This record gives sequence, structure tokens and C-alpha cells, in this order.
Amino acid sequence: MKDKIFGVLQRVGRSFMLPIALLPVAGLLLGIGSSFTNETMLQAYHLTGIIYPGSVLYTILDIMNKTGSAVFNNLALLFAMGVAIGMAKKEKEVAALSGAIAFLIMNTTIGALIDAKGGIEAMAANSTTQVLGITTLQMGVFGGIIVGLGVAALHNKFYKIELPQVLSFFGGTRFVPIISSVVYLVVGIAMFYIWPVIQSWIAMLGNLVMNSGYAGTWIYGIIERALIPFGLHHVFYMPFWQTAVGGTAMIDGQLVQGAQNIFFAELASKSTGEFSVSATRFMAGKFPFMIFGLPGAALAMYKCARPEKKKIVGGLLLSAALTSMLTGITEPLEFTFLFVAPVMYAVHCVTAGLSYMLMHIFKVGVGMTFSGGLIDMTLFGVLQGNDKTNWIWIVIVGLVYFVLYYFMFSFMIKKFNFKTPGREADDEETKLYTRADVNARKDAEKASASSDTTSALILAGLGGKNNLSDLDCCATRLRVTVIDESKVKDILLKQSGASGVIHKGNGIQVIYGPRVSVIKSHLEDYMETPESDNPMVEESAPIQTITENKKSETAKSIILSSPMNGTMLPLTDVEDEAFASEALGKGVAVEPSEGKLYAPADGVIDNLFDTHHALGIITDDGAEILLHIGIDTVKLKGQYYEAHVQNEQRVKKGDLLISFDIDAIKNAGFKVTTPMIICNTYDYGTIEAVASGAVKVGNDLLKIEN
Amino acid sequence: MKEFEYVITDEVGIHARPAGMLVNTVKPFESEVTIEKGGKSANAARLMALMGLGVKCGDTIKVTINGADEEAAAAALQKFLTENL
Repeated sequence: MKDKIFGVLQRVGRSFMLPIALLPVAGLLLGIGSSFTNETMLQAYHLTGIIYPGSVLYTILDIMNKTGSAVFNNLALLFAMGVAIGMAKKEKEVAALSGAIAFLIMNTTIGALIDAKGGIEAMAANSTTQVLGITTLQMGVFGGIIVGLGVAALHNKFYKIELPQVLSFFGGTRFVPIISSVVYLVVGIAMFYIWPVIQSWIAMLGNLVMNSGYAGTWIYGIIERALIPFGLHHVFYMPFWQTAVGGTAMIDGQLVQGAQNIFFAELASKSTGEFSVSATRFMAGKFPFMIFGLPGAALAMYKCARPEKKKIVGGLLLSAALTSMLTGITEPLEFTFLFVAPVMYAVHCVTAGLSYMLMHIFKVGVGMTFSGGLIDMTLFGVLQGNDKTNWIWIVIVGLVYFVLYYFMFSFMIKKFNFKTPGREADDEETKLYTRADVNARKDAEKASASSDTTSALILAGLGGKNNLSDLDCCATRLRVTVIDESKVKDILLKQSGASGVIHKGNGIQVIYGPRVSVIKSHLEDYMETPESDNPMVEESAPIQTITENKKSETAKSIILSSPMNGTMLPLTDVEDEAFASEALGKGVAVEPSEGKLYAPADGVIDNLFDTHHALGIITDDGAEILLHIGIDTVKLKGQYYEAHVQNEQRVKKGDLLISFDIDAIKNAGFKVTTPMIICNTYDYGTIEAVASGAVKVGNDLLKIEN
Repeated sequence: MKEFEYVITDEVGIHARPAGMLVNTVKPFESEVTIEKGGKSANAARLMALMGLGVKCGDTIKVTINGADEEAAAAALQKFLTENL
């Protein structure tokens, strides 16, 4: 039962994503438009000469302002249609049409009943509003959501209905708008009587929240963060942002409800002196920890990563931190530590909640369209001026948060030895994950319409096409309902590039980050193709299949870079018959000038000799490379050599593999000439050196062709 | 199929050079040669796999030869191992 509720809530949450995705654009229009048509602001920046009522620029800005407002004013309709689309299982366009019709019918019905009762005057104060020109009850987006959910339920039940022969024209999907109209006529009548009661409850709940003061804001913040892992945060904050639970206000003679609506109404209004903190308290708290705090955590994780992993981890963390800072999409970063260290996430929830409270205390009146990144802070904070928003406190608190998060995370990671990125043991899972990363990137490069390996992997990971009940996505995750949860293979999903997988009964969430909508589209396209019917990846041998796939596509040349600084030497000139005769395979040698050996290509350490004087690497392209430092140096038994990698470890081109003491080896009577041999020479056509003379680490050295 | 065991006496075991020589000993024959040590096995025609066994002095290896010319291959291998390892 619990799982079922989670499944439904998850679908409701994700169905909000379509209308929510529109908000940043609408917010941008409204933010720019209203900022530069606001007289106080124009005077402050001495722009009244260019931008004045009637001028072309002013008109354009005014259009931006008003079109942006139009979106916010009609959110209820957008939710009615968007939720219907999100919740409908198939034939979603019919659900959208039905949602719009049902919304009109319901409100018109309510409007007629208000007229019959004696007009607005006969109703309780502030209980009515205008929606699309219809006088109706003030229901906010709840009205839209009620319609969206109900219509989707009707739709899923009736879209395949078969009617008697005479009426068959009205059967199937055509029946859905019809039944929706009838049902919502009745719902409208019911609402006319029920809603005023609910309105009074909401007002009470709203008052409770309003009167709870700073502590209330803190608790709100903690809950909001704590729901992120479950993907239920949209369901939680939406009532605060969009309905009377988050407060009501009179702005320019219009009653506005919901924190976000109040903020944007104030933004559009020319008479706003200072933004209502009672509204922005549900939003502004995001800025300090998203722009400053979490990047501080990212820095801590980077600093705590093992030295040889820093390069890989740095890229991952930097992009995740930038995403958080700019757009306020925090999941990519939060999920890097949520799964490995839930305790750190719990602490993060508490401090994030605190951030909300501090913004409340310092009266920071900055709102947002979607989340708390730099873009929103600039538009709705900085551009509005510190007098109206107190945005400077975001920066002050933020800087403290950066330091706080950095030290807090560093401390906890070291104290409890949390396996944050770059600290994990080289066990199977991490290795698979990183290997998958590379594969996924390669596949993306090669992505062709006929064979989409990533989608095939995802589909296989979800237990095949027949195991999917429905598929959707939100800002960062693929949200799937499956028929048999036990068929879901997390490891395959992670190979496809997912940073985490959440199971709740039959509800599965696969976290990819902001690129998820593209992944979803590809997956849907792929599911249309016949090959998706027979998943290419058998569950028994997932890894092998991938390697083979890869090998079949190696029909190009591979370039290995120089593993050392020094001088290139043709293999045939090496003073050792075994190498010079090419008996071990073709290749090239380097006379090193520095005692360091680096990886010539991306690959996996296959065979590090116990004596650390030689190692093998299997590159991602399938070449088997032997690097042998010195001639006959096996006799040194490891003396003067130090390995920086271990067997099975994945390495990137340019990673340090082994360091050695050139002088000591020479003094012991050995040559340090280092051959680089292709052990599987017979798999290739030509192998030739492409450099001569002095070579540096990273320079192209050896070309291998089929 | 032919099978025999051999105890390595060479001081440094099957490192790069002897592994290469072993591969070259096996190469001319049609038969497939597998070398097994401590549960791991490797195709003797693949240098990388062979080195991956990490065979050291004192280890016992099991050699399996399978194919049309297995008799000749076995003899050549016996000779090579005794002389070099």
C-alpha cells in the first residue's frame, strides 16, 4: 500500500514537470520586462531618456512583462492540461484537450452558480477571482490539478471504450472529452459547495504556517530537502508556492495566493516598495546553499579524493557544482554523496533548512522561477535592487555557507572515511561505473539511429520493454513504473551513465541529471525500433557483450601517446634480441630522460608485474600494450621502482603509472630503455612509429591500424 | 588432447621475455595450448594473458594441448620449458 501511494505521488510529481519547465522562461520575460519598466529602477539607473512609456523599447519590455505574467496568471489551466498529459498513459494529446475543456466547464459551472446566488457580493470576501474571463472560486492551481488528475483517471479508463454500433463514432478517444465535460459539470456544482469549506481550512493551515515564524521556515526547509531523494519535493512545496497555504496578498487590487504568485505579482506591479518576505521565505533559502554551500561541499570532495583520481573526479564535481550554482539544479551534486553517505545528506538537510530561516530573518525578498541559481538571483534579486530585496544577505550568508560546507564535508569525509567520488575502493562496482562512463561517452559520439547502445542498456537494466508500465522524467531523473521490480538491474543502469537508482515498490527512479530529457527521448525512439524487442544485453553477461560490441567497431587507427619524456628509439635498435626481433610484438621504445612512466592511452591495467618494472594495459580500443622499463630489469626484483596503480585499475591517458630511479638502475648495470609493445600485433595490419627524436609525454608516438 | 605438468625452475618465472618466447614456440602449431596456474588459465598464444598468470619460480603449471598436431607441439613445448624455464 505504501509503495502504491509512493508510485502515485511520484507520477503526480513528475506530471508537474511540464508546466514547471515553462516557469523559468516566463520568469525571464517577466523579470527583464518588469525590471526595466519599473519607474524607480529606470530613474535609479538614469534610463528614463531611452525607456519611457510609448517608446519602442518600453513597449517591447512591456510585452515581455505582460506575456510573462500571462503564464503565471493562467498556471491553473496549464496545470489542468499538463497534469492530464503527465498522468495519461497513452494518447496524451486527447487528455490535454479534455483537461482544457473540463477546466472551462468546471469554472463556468461555478460562475453560473455564483450568478444564481447573487454575484460576487453574495460570496465570502476574497473567495472569488477571474479565470480566463470567467468569474469563479479562488482555487489557484489546485483547481487545475483537480481537473488534471480527474481527467487523466477518466482518460485512462475510457480511451479504449467501445460504444454500441450507432454511437461508435463517439467511441475510443473521442469519448474522453465528452465524459470529462459531463463529469466536470458535476464536479463544478460540487465544488461550489465544497470549496468554500476547504478554503477556510487552507486559510487556517496557511495561518498556522505564517504564525509559526522562523522555526516554521526552518522546518519547511528541512522537509523540502529531505524529500528530494524520494522525488516528492514538488508535491510538498507546490501548495506553498501556488496556493493560499503559502499566504495571500492584495496586490494592485487583485487577490493573489501562493508564495511564488505573490512574488511575481509584486514583481509585475509598479507600486512594490519591498518584496513580501512572508512569501519569499519559501524560496530565498535555496540561494545560499545552492550557489555557495554545495559548491563548497564539491570542493571538499575534490580535495579528499585520492591523488590519482582527482582529474576524473574534478571534472565530474566541477560540472555538478556549476549546474547547482547557475541553475539551482542540485541533484547531480547531492546524489554524489547521498548514496555513499546518507549522514552527510541528513546534515545537509538541517543546514539547508537553516538557510531558509536565515533568509527569513534577514528579510531577503528574492523569489525564483524554479530553483535558486545565479540566474534567478541576478534577475529577481540583484536587478531589483538591494532596497527591495536585501539580496546582499544571500552573498554574506552564502560565503559563510561555502566555508561551513567545505569544512563540514571535509571533516565528515575524513572522520568517517566516506567513499565519496575518488575515494572508493577499486571494487567491481566503481570500476564498472567508470568504464561505463567512457563507454557511454563513446556511444554518444557514435550514436546512430539504428543502434542506440545507451538506450539498449537502459532498457535491459529496466527488465526489457515488456516490463515497463510507463515512462517519464523530471528535471534530473527518469521515472519509471515497472511490472516486475526484481527484473531491474541497477548495475546496467549505472553503466548507462546513471548516478543512482531508487527503488520504491514498482516505482523506479534513475538519476541522470539535467540531460535526462534527451535520454528519455532517445529511449522512446529506441523503443519504437524492432531491435528493442530482443534486448541485446543478456543479464548473465552484460560486461562481455559491451566489450564485444566495442571491438567490432575498432576498424580505425589508434594513436598511442608517448609514455615518457625522452628520446624515441626504433624497436629494432633496442639492445635486447627478444624486443629487437619483434618476437614479443611490434612497437617502439623510448630512452627516458625522467624516471616516470605515464599511460599512453585510456584503458585498464591488466598486468602489473610484482617487480613493478613492467605492466600491461588493455586500451578501450582493445589494444594490449606492454610497457617494459629497462632491459633485463626483472632481476632488480622491484628495487628502484614504485607503482602508482594496481591491477584492474582504470587509467586515463597521461596518468602516472610507475616512477623509477634512473640513476640507481643505471648504476646497478642495467639499461633503462623502455619498449612499448603491442602484444596482440596479429590483430592489426600496420603498427608504426609516428615520431622520432625527442618525445614528450602526451605526444603522438605509435599508430596502430587494422 | 595432451596434458602435462611442469615446475618452473627459472629464477624470475615467466616474465616478459620468456613469455614472448613461449608464444613464439606455440605459434607455428595449429593446436590450441592452454597454460593453467592456480585456477587461472591463459591461451599460450596470447602474450598478455600469459604474463597475467604471474608464474614464478617453484610454481607448477599445467599445460594442455589440443589439436591436430598436438604430439609435435607437446614435444616442442617440453623442450622449450626444460631449456628456458
